[in-house]
Amino acid sequence: MPGTRILDMSGIGKAFGGVPVLADVAFHLDAGEVVALLGANGAGKSTLMKILSGNYTRDAGTVVVNGRTHALRTPADALALGIRMLPQELSVFADLMVAENIMIGGLPVKGAHVDRRAMTERAQALLKRMGLDWLSPGTRMGSLSHHVQRLVEIARALNGDARVLIMDEPTASLAADEVDMLFSIIRRLQAEGISVIYISHYLKEVFAISGRIVVLRDGRNAGDFVTGNTNVDEVLHAIVGNRVGDLYPPFAQGVEGAQDVVAVTGLTVPGWLRDVDFSVKRGTITGVHGLVGSGVEMIGRALFGAAPRAEARSVAIGGEPYRISTPGRAVAAGLGLVAAERKREGIVAMLSLRENMSVANMPLFTHGLHVDRTKEARTVGEWIKRLSIRARDAEQPIGTLSGGNQQKVCLARWLLGDLKALILEEPTRGVDVGARQEIYRQIRQLADEGLAILLISSDAEEVAGLADRSVALASGVVTQTFEQPTSASALMSAASKSAAA
Amino acid sequence: MSQTSTLPAGTPAAKRPIRALLGHPFAGVAMLLVFYLLLIAAFSALSPFFLTVKNLLSIGSNMAFIGLMAAAGTPLIVAGGLDLSVAAVAGISGVVVALCYAAGIDIWAACLIAVAAGGLIGAGNGALTNGLKLNPFIVTLGTMSIITGASLVLTGGLTQPLMIEGFNWIGSGRIGGSGGVPVPLIIMLVAFVLIWWMMAFTPFGRYIYASGGNPEASRMLGIPVDRTQVTLYILSGISGAIAGIIVAAMLGAAAPDSVGKHLLTVIAAIILGGTSLFGGRGSVWGTLLAVLILGTLNNGLTLMNVSSFWQDVTKGAVLLLAVGLDQLRVRSQA
Repeated sequence: MPGTRILDMSGIGKAFGGVPVLADVAFHLDAGEVVALLGANGAGKSTLMKILSGNYTRDAGTVVVNGRTHALRTPADALALGIRMLPQELSVFADLMVAENIMIGGLPVKGAHVDRRAMTERAQALLKRMGLDWLSPGTRMGSLSHHVQRLVEIARALNGDARVLIMDEPTASLAADEVDMLFSIIRRLQAEGISVIYISHYLKEVFAISGRIVVLRDGRNAGDFVTGNTNVDEVLHAIVGNRVGDLYPPFAQGVEGAQDVVAVTGLTVPGWLRDVDFSVKRGTITGVHGLVGSGVEMIGRALFGAAPRAEARSVAIGGEPYRISTPGRAVAAGLGLVAAERKREGIVAMLSLRENMSVANMPLFTHGLHVDRTKEARTVGEWIKRLSIRARDAEQPIGTLSGGNQQKVCLARWLLGDLKALILEEPTRGVDVGARQEIYRQIRQLADEGLAILLISSDAEEVAGLADRSVALASGVVTQTFEQPTSASALMSAASKSAAA
Repeated sequence: MSQTSTLPAGTPAAKRPIRALLGHPFAGVAMLLVFYLLLIAAFSALSPFFLTVKNLLSIGSNMAFIGLMAAAGTPLIVAGGLDLSVAAVAGISGVVVALCYAAGIDIWAACLIAVAAGGLIGAGNGALTNGLKLNPFIVTLGTMSIITGASLVLTGGLTQPLMIEGFNWIGSGRIGGSGGVPVPLIIMLVAFVLIWWMMAFTPFGRYIYASGGNPEASRMLGIPVDRTQVTLYILSGISGAIAGIIVAAMLGAAAPDSVGKHLLTVIAAIILGGTSLFGGRGSVWGTLLAVLILGTLNNGLTLMNVSSFWQDVTKGAVLLLAVGLDQLRVRSQA
């Protein structure tokens, strides 16, 4: 069995709204092989896997599974071919039994009833295959720990004739011994001839589990390495490439002398961050990089008062002591935050571009009891022009703009007011490469005009390309502080320091 | 050229004129207006008594208390809240006025006490939904039941007479002689104008739309979502209290169960008027037209001797039809 070519994708192309995301990508897989798929955010990994799992249809290319070409139009097509994708987020039924969770996609029936005995037996057999004999199929799912629930999800994916298992960041929230357990399960499956596509940012794990490493960059193949014959530097180089220079604007000058606009010591968010110190200086971009789950997703909102139970030993904004409380207070103190989950936390989709831009700064546009519509329209118009936001007009519902243009509105809304420091969470998530370059340029320009910017990103390349100084986070603590611009690989290695150890 | 990047491919507005028209922001209100005019035309043709100034004014007067509650309910639902207790508040408000008056309190002071009580109940609804993060449907269903029960307890289920000349003028007076404009109609229209002003022209109005459109994003922008909603619950409670006073003044008596049954009409008017139950979208003019449509339907069918049982069936059917059409409209916009 091992050595048989089970999957061959070639010439794969995909574009969204005219923007190419994948171009002529090839990917193959042998039976019983564990292949790591790597690339920076936006490199096309997820898109490629969504094509393989039938969630997206490809624009070009062929997919050959077990020697036969397949159209692969729907998730059902992929399931029938034995291709299973583990969801990135836990998706279980907490109030159902383990056995029900495993068999939910095809419950065995006897007459009109669920055949409980058959269900339990089959679930038991699947758990045994994974070496999880100790787990009783009758246990209520919600009573299990998070990582065991993840393992049950794997059992669910194996139900039926699974041939290829796609795991997207499976260890993002696992402790070291839990990672070991996952790896031993992957090796068992490998021995059965099941192939695994393993997507991860943790290079240490990738080198521990994979037999081959495939790298994508900007939607194209950028490397295919036998794990035993390569090293971290070579792989990082393939991930990052040489295009850093032209995408990013030049760094700030004279950063050392700049004064602190925000100074934080001992920032703690239970379960996320422990005793983190950082500062944001006038006229500079301070980067924070960490992998997903490292606390990088909390650091900005903790300062902003939008993280539960966030505390700090001391915070000073513009030299004045500040106590973390609510977003309203943070805005009043001169902070602004552009949230990572734009659709959920950044925009009110049904309202117009104008309303979205002005709503956080209504006092500016209030005259007596009224909104000063003329002043509002003028200011919004100026910012549309200044950030070259592409829209029919200011009245277009923001939900119908492209991601990049929505992001510019989210930026502009803070710039209208009296802002001291701007917190940017993953500022280019879901933004295409062209708009990304423009956003980077504008962020730099704002810094040049004297704004203090905190750039928070799980994309090391972005922090390396943009930040004048930066901080690396791992498991909720600062692992390294850089007072100068640094490289993506230095950030990556600092961010993965204690992740799997 | 710049439009190609912002519009979904394949649906250029110019190619589908009907869709473009339906997608216009005022299309919902325009549709209601057309429907209202058709309704008037139809009833005018069917009944000689329908199209008279007297009849049209009486429709307005009869719907005033419902319109008042629907006017205040509109911004609340737009902001993501819901007040099912408003009609029960109206019921207890009349009772409070009657009991205070019977206890020797001046009638206008009694009215103020009732309005304050309505505001207080609204504040309670707001505190439970926003402070404890309870679902507004459940909270106001609960307060509705408590208040309805309390009015029956306070009165023993008996109607309390309230025949006081100045007071009854609120319900049955007219401005401009005996054929003039009914006072309740004026109160309702003033409420609509005030709430329209609040929603369309004040910063608070922006917070209403933002809070309902995306509460999470609004909180991240420092918008006082909870304060906005609590204020609107209070406003809803006050509108219920005033509606109750109007009804009591109109009937010359406070009947504990006189208004509660109209709750569905209030909610139906808000939804028929194009306000989204999920928040973020709606206008007070849509609500006003819907109130008029429901009132006209009632009046016209009565003039045609259609039984009130069939009137309920018709009202429900119109509501479903309107909501269905509106859904099609919103989809064509997306």
